[in-house]
Amino acid sequence: MRRRLPARLDPGTTIAAVRELHIRLGGTKILDGVTLDVTAGQVLALVGPNGAGKSTLLSALCGDLPIDSGQALLYQEPLAHWSAVEMAMRRAVMLQQATISFPFTVAQIVEMGRAPWSGTGRADADEQAIRTAMTLADVIPFSERVFSSLSGGERARVSLARALAQQSQLLLLDEPTAALDLHHQEDVLQLARRQAATGDAVVIVLHDLNLAAGYADQVAILSNGQLAACGPPAEVLTAELLSDVYQHKVEVWPHPATGEPVILPQRQGAGPRR
Amino acid sequence: MRLRKAGLVGGLVVVLLVMAVVAAGVGQLPIPASEILGSVMHRLDRGLEGLLHVRLPLDVGPMPRHPQGDNALWKVRFPRVTLAVLVGASLAAAGALMQGIFGNPLAEPSVVGVSSGAAVGASLVIVTGATFLGNWTIAAAAFVTGLITTLLVHALSRAGGKTEVVTLVLTGIAVNALTFTLISFATFIANTSAREQLVFWQLGSLNGATWQAVAAVLPFTIVGLAAAFALSHKLDLLSLGDRSAAHLGVDVERLRLFAIVVVALLVGASVAFSGIIGFVGLVVPHLIRMIAGPGHRLLLPASALGGAVLVITADLIARTLIRNADLPIGMITSLVGAPFFFWLLRRTRTRQGGWG
Repeated sequence: MRRRLPARLDPGTTIAAVRELHIRLGGTKILDGVTLDVTAGQVLALVGPNGAGKSTLLSALCGDLPIDSGQALLYQEPLAHWSAVEMAMRRAVMLQQATISFPFTVAQIVEMGRAPWSGTGRADADEQAIRTAMTLADVIPFSERVFSSLSGGERARVSLARALAQQSQLLLLDEPTAALDLHHQEDVLQLARRQAATGDAVVIVLHDLNLAAGYADQVAILSNGQLAACGPPAEVLTAELLSDVYQHKVEVWPHPATGEPVILPQRQGAGPRR
Repeated sequence: MRLRKAGLVGGLVVVLLVMAVVAAGVGQLPIPASEILGSVMHRLDRGLEGLLHVRLPLDVGPMPRHPQGDNALWKVRFPRVTLAVLVGASLAAAGALMQGIFGNPLAEPSVVGVSSGAAVGASLVIVTGATFLGNWTIAAAAFVTGLITTLLVHALSRAGGKTEVVTLVLTGIAVNALTFTLISFATFIANTSAREQLVFWQLGSLNGATWQAVAAVLPFTIVGLAAAFALSHKLDLLSLGDRSAAHLGVDVERLRLFAIVVVALLVGASVAFSGIIGFVGLVVPHLIRMIAGPGHRLLLPASALGGAVLVITADLIARTLIRNADLPIGMITSLVGAPFFFWLLRRTRTRQGGWG
C-alpha cells in the first residue's frame, strides 16, 4: 500500500481548509458555501446554534461526507487524494458519541489510536505515545476497566486519549466537553491549548461560548450553514452578533480581571426566588 | 497477560490433541492410545524414509493388535477426526469473523442463515449429481451460494452503519425460511438415495468423512483461516464503529467485503461435507472472549482451536451416545447451542433495555 508519511508543519501554516464548501444531506442544504482555514499551532472553536452545520463541517474535514461542491483540503491536498491510512496519520478525530461492540478495556482502546503507524518507524514510539495520551486525558485511574462500565464523562476522556495517541498534527474534536463536569471541561480545553502550543492544530465544536472565549485562538460562528464570523474571540463574540445568530438576547462583558469576553444569555423570569 | 494468552492457546492445543486421540480410539472397535500413537509413528517412519531414503528410528510403539485396527484408524477414524477439526475450526473462526464485521455478538453462520445458504448450493449439487469441478464441486457450490447469502444478510440487516440485534435475528429468520424452501425443493426433486443423504446431511453429520472430503475442504480452511487471522487487527478497530475505524485508517467497505468472502469460504468448506452444524460459531468465540477478552488477534486462532475441540467432542458424543447409532452431530451442537443463544439474547436485551 502506498503510504506517504507526514512532515511536521510549522506553526502558522494552514494545515486544513474548506473552500466554498456546499454539502447537502437528504436533500437539505446543510453547508452553504463555507470557507475556513485551520492553522497549525492554533485552537479553532466552531460555535453556533443547533443545526447550524458545526458537526457537518467537522465531518467534512474528517473526510466522512460526500462534498457537493467546493473543496476540503488536508495538507494542501483534496481529501480524495489521501488514502484512509494517510489521512489517519494527519488527523485524529474524537466523535460525540463513542460506542464499542465488544468489551475492550480502556488501555486497549487507547492503543487502537496507534493503528495508523503500525509498520512504520514511528511504531517504536507506541508505548510512549499511549502512556502520554492516557496521562493527558486523565484515564490512568481506570485504564484496566471495560469501556461499557464507564460513565459518560469517562468515556469521552477515553475517546480523547485514543485521538491523542494517534499523534497527528490535526485534532478534530466534536463536542468533547458535552458529557464532562466543569473540572474536566477546563482540563480538555487546557489540553487543547497545550497541544496547540506544541504546534498542533485543534478544531473543537463547542456549545459553551465561554469556553470558546477563554481558550480559542480563533472562533468560527456558523449560522444556517454559513460562516457568520471568524476571528479572535474578543472580535467576533459580540452581543450584537450572538443575539442575532442564536435568536436570543445575549449580553457580553469583559471579565474584570482578564478582559476576556464573558457571555451570558438574558434570562427572563430569572431573579430572586422564594 | 501475555503468559495467559500463550497458556490459553497452548492449553487448547493440548486438549485438541488429547481429544483427537480419544476420538480415534473410541468406537465399535476400541483402540488404546498407545496403539494409535504407534500406528501414527510407523506410518510417519515409513513415509519419511520413503521420502528421504534414510533409516529413521521413528517406528516406535505398538501397532494395533486387532487385525482390522490399523484399517479402522486410517480408513474411518482419522479422516473423520481430521474433518471434525477442519469443520470446527472453520465454523468457529467464521462466527468470530462475522461477529466482528457485524459488530454484534449474536451474528453466527447458522443463526443468520449463511450455513443454510451454503447448504442450498451443496444440496443442488448432490441432487443433480454435478461434478464440473470434480472433488471440489460441492464445496465450490456451497461457497458461491454461501457468499450470496452472506452479502444478502449484510445488505438487509445493516441500517445507518449499524446492525441491531432485532434486525439481524429477523433477517436470519427470513433468510433461513427462504433457503430451507430451496433445500426442500431440492429434497423433493431428489431420488430416494439422494433424498436420504440430504435429510441426514441437513441435520449435520461427519458420517461420510473420507480423505477425499478432507482434501477438498483443507485448502478452503487453510486459506480462510489465514485470511481471517490477517484481518484480526482491523477487526479490533471496527468495533469502534465504522466512522472511528475509518478515522484510524481502515478502508471499512473493503474490509467488510473481504471478510464476507472469507466467511463464505469457511462456511462453504464446512457445510460441503458435513452439512449444517449449528451454533459452533456462537458458543466458541463467546467463551473465548470471556476467558481472553475481545481482541481478535487471540480470539480468531483460539476460536479455531476451540471449535475443533467442540466438533470432535460433539461428534464423539453423536456416534457413541446410543450404541450402534450415528446420531446427527447438528442435533448435539444445537442441544447446547440453542439454550446458549437464548441466554445471550436475553442478556443482550437486558443490557439494551428492551427492544420496543
